[in-house]
Amino acid sequence: MFFALIGIVIGLVIGLVLPFTYNAAYSLYISVAILACLDSVFGGIKANLEKKFDSSIFISGFFGNAILAAFLAYIGDRLGVPLYYAAIFTFGGRLFENFASIRRILLNKRKSETKVEE
Amino acid sequence: MNNVKKPSIIILIFSIFLGMFMAGQFKQNTPTIAPVTLRSIQTTKDNIDTLNKEIEDLNALLKEKEEQLNVLESIASGDENIIDVLNDELEKYKNLAGFEEVEGPGVIITMQDNMAEGPFGENFNSDVIHDIDVLRIINDLRCAEAEAISVNGQRILSMSEIKCGGPIIRVNGKSLGTPFVIKAIGNPKLLSAAINAPNTYAYALKHIDQIYIELTTEDNIRIPAYNGKFNFKYAKPLKEGD
Repeated sequence: MFFALIGIVIGLVIGLVLPFTYNAAYSLYISVAILACLDSVFGGIKANLEKKFDSSIFISGFFGNAILAAFLAYIGDRLGVPLYYAAIFTFGGRLFENFASIRRILLNKRKSETKVEE
Repeated sequence: MNNVKKPSIIILIFSIFLGMFMAGQFKQNTPTIAPVTLRSIQTTKDNIDTLNKEIEDLNALLKEKEEQLNVLESIASGDENIIDVLNDELEKYKNLAGFEEVEGPGVIITMQDNMAEGPFGENFNSDVIHDIDVLRIINDLRCAEAEAISVNGQRILSMSEIKCGGPIIRVNGKSLGTPFVIKAIGNPKLLSAAINAPNTYAYALKHIDQIYIELTTEDNIRIPAYNGKFNFKYAKPLKEGD
């Protein structure tokens, strides 16, 4: 959990310091891809806490979801159907689910720890 | 130990990636919450192009007005005679209105009724040339940027009527019969395309109604001036500043 937060902060600092930008036209696609990445990171944290973490699943999900989400947004733009909503709803919903699981696992851990102490 | 650490480090690395992407997005500083799509960018681009075109037109107008001002200034300083300037303008406006004989490159179109003998009782209406046929051909010529048009020697003005008069047609109040000779001055290529190209009105007349239409391109056509006169009874010019 904290590793992820630290990583995001480091990444933000690096990204703001480095002078790399991209065409503003792709802003929408990148933002949907970021949502997918965020979902992957949350999923990774959850799996880590459940001791079921598999690095290949995590890495493929990180890139695969991002590319698929961006591609979906692009196709939707071409077809005139806002398909990026699909990505937003799926990944947004999963983000909250993952966060709920993480919360529960952490809270249960604390409870069991206090019980042991008693 | 190693098993516990490894996932955390992978998550750390990918979080750094994610943070970098997010930083890139923050740097975009997108002013609106609404997603900017390629289409909306295209629309904005078109708008800008239209505005630029307008600015260009206005600049051209400004230049024209400046030239006029120069002429007026030279009159005021006595370099040019006002009568000469006014005569020049009169010539120009007469030419524009069609009160001057003009010559130039263009096309001559000859139209004749369908003379083929059909079986008796067949509808003769489709064999003769109607006012509307001439009118639509003239409209096609105007679309092709014809500058001066005449039908059988009658100059077509902005006020000219083309009206059915039984076996004849009436133009400028004069009766004209077949064959109709339409002369037009303009870009000969454009004008002949307006008559000969498939799917034009003349093409349909020629191939469906079997009406004789012949087009010749010439380097020098004379088109007479309008020889009648008209006065406006009702339309009064609006004074500038009213």
